Amino acid sequence: MLGIDDPYIWIAYILCFISAIGCMIYGAIKWNDGLDDEDVE
Amino acid sequence: MPVSTPVIGVFILIYLMIMFYLGWLGYKKTKLTEDYMIAGRNVHPYVLALSYGATFISTSAIIGFGGAAGALGMGLLWLAVMNIIVGIFIAFVFFGSRTRRMSLNLRAVTFPELLGRRFQSRFIQGFSGALIGVFMPLYAGIVLIGGARFIEATLNINYDIAVLILTVIVAAYVITGGLIAVMYTDALQGALMFIGMIFLLSFTYITLGGINAAHSALTAMNHLVPEGLAAGGHLGWTSMPAFGTPIWWTLVSTLVLGVGIGVLAQPQLAVRFMTVRNDAALNKAVFVGGPFILMMTGVAFTVGALSNVYFYQNTGMISLAAAGGNTDLIIPEYINSAMPDLFVVLFMLTLLAAAMSTLSSQYHTMGTAIGHDFYREYVKKGDLGKTISITRVAIAITILGSVILAYMLPISIIARATAIFFGLCAAAFLPMYTGALFWKRMTREGAIASLLVGTFSSLFWLTFVRSSEAVPLGISKALFGVETLITGTWTLVDPILIATPLAFIAGIVVSLMTKPIPDEHLDKCFTRKRK
Repeated sequence: MLGIDDPYIWIAYILCFISAIGCMIYGAIKWNDGLDDEDVE
Repeated sequence: MPVSTPVIGVFILIYLMIMFYLGWLGYKKTKLTEDYMIAGRNVHPYVLALSYGATFISTSAIIGFGGAAGALGMGLLWLAVMNIIVGIFIAFVFFGSRTRRMSLNLRAVTFPELLGRRFQSRFIQGFSGALIGVFMPLYAGIVLIGGARFIEATLNINYDIAVLILTVIVAAYVITGGLIAVMYTDALQGALMFIGMIFLLSFTYITLGGINAAHSALTAMNHLVPEGLAAGGHLGWTSMPAFGTPIWWTLVSTLVLGVGIGVLAQPQLAVRFMTVRNDAALNKAVFVGGPFILMMTGVAFTVGALSNVYFYQNTGMISLAAAGGNTDLIIPEYINSAMPDLFVVLFMLTLLAAAMSTLSSQYHTMGTAIGHDFYREYVKKGDLGKTISITRVAIAITILGSVILAYMLPISIIARATAIFFGLCAAAFLPMYTGALFWKRMTREGAIASLLVGTFSSLFWLTFVRSSEAVPLGISKALFGVETLITGTWTLVDPILIATPLAFIAGIVVSLMTKPIPDEHLDKCFTRKRK
């Protein structure tokens, strides 16, 4: 996979991308969640 | 260096002028203590994300850990995975929103103050502040070394003068502009780092003929692992080290777990959660933070490992040999020989930005820890109106401390000292911080127990058991005549794996044995007000 034999390495390589994309999806879905929280005074 | 000094000089000058402008802007906007300490709780989500990321990722993450990947291989990518999942997602989503709300409810403006007020203990605040004030200069000292070495090499000026120049510039905007200046300069530096790393990754893959070709070429180099590393468990740059070997322990316990988990309890990062208006800002910061960290550590570790292919194809040597055996020189050496001149300039600014953004936050955190947490709240029992002035003086003092350390410490300590500081913070603060946010039954006594057990067991392990620190320190040898008190595999295990669980156990056991915190105080801590 991707020119890498050891699965423990290519899994990490792919997980880097998946987790970063996961962060983006989470942020996009929750974009306006929590807007109704208390303001600073 | 291949690029002419005047060209770099002009770029750096423009960059520094923007830094000064942002510092001045911070100074103008700072009116109240909350402005100086936590940027008035009104920071833009993108600024938060970039500032958090730029503070998180110092020069040592790119140069030191990227170089480590050059020697140890792509197994370090597990640290990049941890950086994104733990350092961004868990940190912002689970710790961030509760930290923000609780700091607002308790009117806390620093990380130690949040813990102190949650557990109604000035001792916790004072001790935590002192711990930060004593050990963070070590971390700041090594970041300063990294930045100054870079200026020394790039502009051909004396190292001692480089240390002074860097210190004066950063000190100027931190002392005057407080956290507003720190975070806005961070954000600009973060953007610069992002661009620099995109170029670095693209050029590397293009030079080596594409993603698959580059990785395959690296895999084909397995037989070139030097004997010393192979004996330690190194199986090639695209393989994990053999399980249980010294290199496996270094990679997994110190680098991946130590730094990966330690980030959650970093005071200079936790304080950033307090700087935004609402939870929506934290969610938006996750959107930016995930890809940002991917482009920082993910790229540094991949490129670090792939530099072996470049050096082998062009010089017949592996990276470690091309860099004269010093892992800290692998990335700079690679940039200088493989990249176009203009990129060298861009990358130098990237590194300068990485050093300055981390340094400025460290100075701010150390200053507030000593000036506000230790002096004002603990020594003076909160009885002093001029917190900002005291903090400014404290910042100046801690800066002096880190400069002295920068002159004294050896260069090879960079990556290890980062790991030591992260590990110490994890052991001392993580159990108490986790309890503060998620476990209402945790008592003041339980928190103090976890703080003390975490701090001292971590320091004990470093001084007497773990060989990579205990042997050079020599305290164990002087006191007991042996280099480490225990022998075998234990001497390879990072303190974070011993001290943090011990601190968690101490915190839980002592909490269950002592009187719970009154409900009215807990209500005040955990209440969620809505508009």
